[in-house]
Amino acid sequence: MDFELSESQNIILHSAKTFLEKETKGLARDVETTDDGFSLKVWKKTAELGWFGVVLPEEYGGMQGNYIDLVLLLEEAGKALFPGPLISIIISGLCIDEYGNQLQKDELLPKIIGGDLIIVPAIIQPDPAFGGDFIQDEIKEHDGRYTLSGTRLFVPFAHVADKILYCAETSRGKTFFLSDTKNFGVVCTPLESLGGDKPSEVNFDAVEVPQENLVGQFGRAEEILKKIGEWGALAQSAYIAGMLSQILAMSVEYAKQRVQFGKKIGSFQAIKHQCAEMAGDLDRTKFLTYQAAWRLSEKLPATKEISMAKACASEASRKVSLLGVKIHGGTGVSEEYDMQLYFRRAKVAEIAFGDADFHQEILARQLGM
Amino acid sequence: MDFSFSDQEKHFEEQMRSFFLEEKETADKAKQEWDSGLGMGPNCWKILKKLGEHRWICPTWPKKYGGLELSYIYKYISMEQMHHFTNIPTLVGAGMAGPIILNHGTEKQKEKYLLEISSGEVEYTLGYTEPEAGSDLAALSIKAEDKEDYFLINGSKLFNTRTHYSRYHWLGARTEKTEKKYKGISLFIVDLKTPGITIRPIWTVGGRRTNAVFYDNVELPRETLVGELNRGFYYILEALDYERISTVGGLQRDFQEILEYVKETGRNKDPLIRQKMSQLAIEIESARLLALRVAAMLSKGKIPNHEAGMLKMMVSETEQNLVNTAMKIFGAYGQIKKGSKWAQLSGKYEWLYRDSLENLITRGTSEIMRNIIAERGLGLPRD
Repeated sequence: MDFELSESQNIILHSAKTFLEKETKGLARDVETTDDGFSLKVWKKTAELGWFGVVLPEEYGGMQGNYIDLVLLLEEAGKALFPGPLISIIISGLCIDEYGNQLQKDELLPKIIGGDLIIVPAIIQPDPAFGGDFIQDEIKEHDGRYTLSGTRLFVPFAHVADKILYCAETSRGKTFFLSDTKNFGVVCTPLESLGGDKPSEVNFDAVEVPQENLVGQFGRAEEILKKIGEWGALAQSAYIAGMLSQILAMSVEYAKQRVQFGKKIGSFQAIKHQCAEMAGDLDRTKFLTYQAAWRLSEKLPATKEISMAKACASEASRKVSLLGVKIHGGTGVSEEYDMQLYFRRAKVAEIAFGDADFHQEILARQLGM
Repeated sequence: MDFSFSDQEKHFEEQMRSFFLEEKETADKAKQEWDSGLGMGPNCWKILKKLGEHRWICPTWPKKYGGLELSYIYKYISMEQMHHFTNIPTLVGAGMAGPIILNHGTEKQKEKYLLEISSGEVEYTLGYTEPEAGSDLAALSIKAEDKEDYFLINGSKLFNTRTHYSRYHWLGARTEKTEKKYKGISLFIVDLKTPGITIRPIWTVGGRRTNAVFYDNVELPRETLVGELNRGFYYILEALDYERISTVGGLQRDFQEILEYVKETGRNKDPLIRQKMSQLAIEIESARLLALRVAAMLSKGKIPNHEAGMLKMMVSETEQNLVNTAMKIFGAYGQIKKGSKWAQLSGKYEWLYRDSLENLITRGTSEIMRNIIAERGLGLPRD
């Protein structure tokens, strides 16, 4: 039983903090209103630090680290609200490494890790109940090629991606296809959203994909989807832990400075107890996340622990960010301060890869209910 | 980071578990005694003495005082198993008084008091709370006058729960009137048979006995003073940090019981119940991790402070959630007491609904824990 970081983890964290301090201060705000929504320059520098291949094998340029290394870095990224498809690129890398064929691994992994190739998974199909026009799903198979049509929603940063990892239901089960975004018939449109972090609509209109661009076996994508769901939930939990840790630090700082009724507001129990509540939610999220990451590293079953982490993180995300706004008072709702940005992003992270209700249901099944 | 027990730790856990299974009859009776609200009865003492023979009550202590010189993780495992099988969550002698005697007592005191604690022969009762000193412990006023060869004690204590079956009172008393109240408090080890002490029962809403203790011209020999004169409050705080190693052994056991009930009665199909049970599982698991963090810190020679406060708060509040979840599941049947054919799970949660309240208050209320987290953990100003 050991809750402390290893020496190498301390080194990684130190360099991550220094890097983020230097390169990403205020960046999330600056890029929010740009078309890309992220900085390619910072993205490339991040790749140089090895962040896109933390757990990937050395032979492709990865760090061959463990999942704890990964969640610790994502936590730092969350503190800084690191902009860009960071979680998507990590998932795509893991997905190609575990399910891709040798050719795909040799070609794609070094580029992903090197920051030269952005691949984002596109999974969520529109629900007709919510309205909106979309392309009906259709797959045609002919001479070892596929023609894909369909719409996928809420794909992070699809508009700047090089490739889409597109999941579709075929006559023989779900399958993943890899397509260039430059291919004829692919249109990616970022949507204006609460978080301002470019969830996109991806439209495939008779897009041709050759057989060799299938990822994993034809019709057997259920397992990949489950894995993506778990990697994504774990990564989001870590990113949330980072955001909440920053929100708490900002709130405590503010409470130590702001004077009302002739006293620092941090001396009032109403404020203290809210901060203590935030600290409790943060620590629970962190340790559940670390434990789930540790289990993945040890190759132990982690479905239950990941769902515990994300359910806890999702609830904490909304609760802690709201308390943060309240402690900041008027400053908390002012556009010119960061608090509101964290508040908006916290809601997006709460939903991404399943909210608490979703993961509590997974957990209920895991408990044999 | 490592979230597993080592092979030796697993072996220790396994040894303790098989011990309790072998002694199941005694352990079950001990649990009944404990849950009756009267505190430790003959079977509790029987099981404690056997644990003492294995040196499992104070596994972290030096061998010459009945310990095994093991790390705090073993203490955690030992408490978890005891909690699981007997429902006794903690021991005041082994958990609070003993470590302070070990750290600050004289050689003579260590020899006199430590072996009886580690062998499971005696229990201590906390003598902190008074009518006018609850959360504000430093306000305690029971008077200890220095008469050179003895101290003369006059005053009273309230809600000193374990007094009626303990041998010693771990007494915090005022030895000096100081401007800063906490600077005039000293600690004493009082044999409860000393003339002039009266114990009067007080019954809680949970049917548990606690006590008022009255000191009328009680003479304590000098050698009952613990550590330095007027340093008592510092020792009290130090002991609280040790004592706040709580385990979730009892909560995990009760959760399993409710889970089985839910499955057997088909209530597991209700989405609201599925959700509540999952939320509870998450709370218990995160409390378990916070408990292990505190144990791991102590194992590395660090003193947990706000971490221990957070744990105490989480465990007692998670217990509230557990009891409330059970009561929700039972609906109107939940109010029926043990003995009726309509009582669910033998009316256990009708009782726990009352009895669990105490954990929100004893050893520092949740609100005091929040103050500790905010002030000592986050550095917010005291005033």
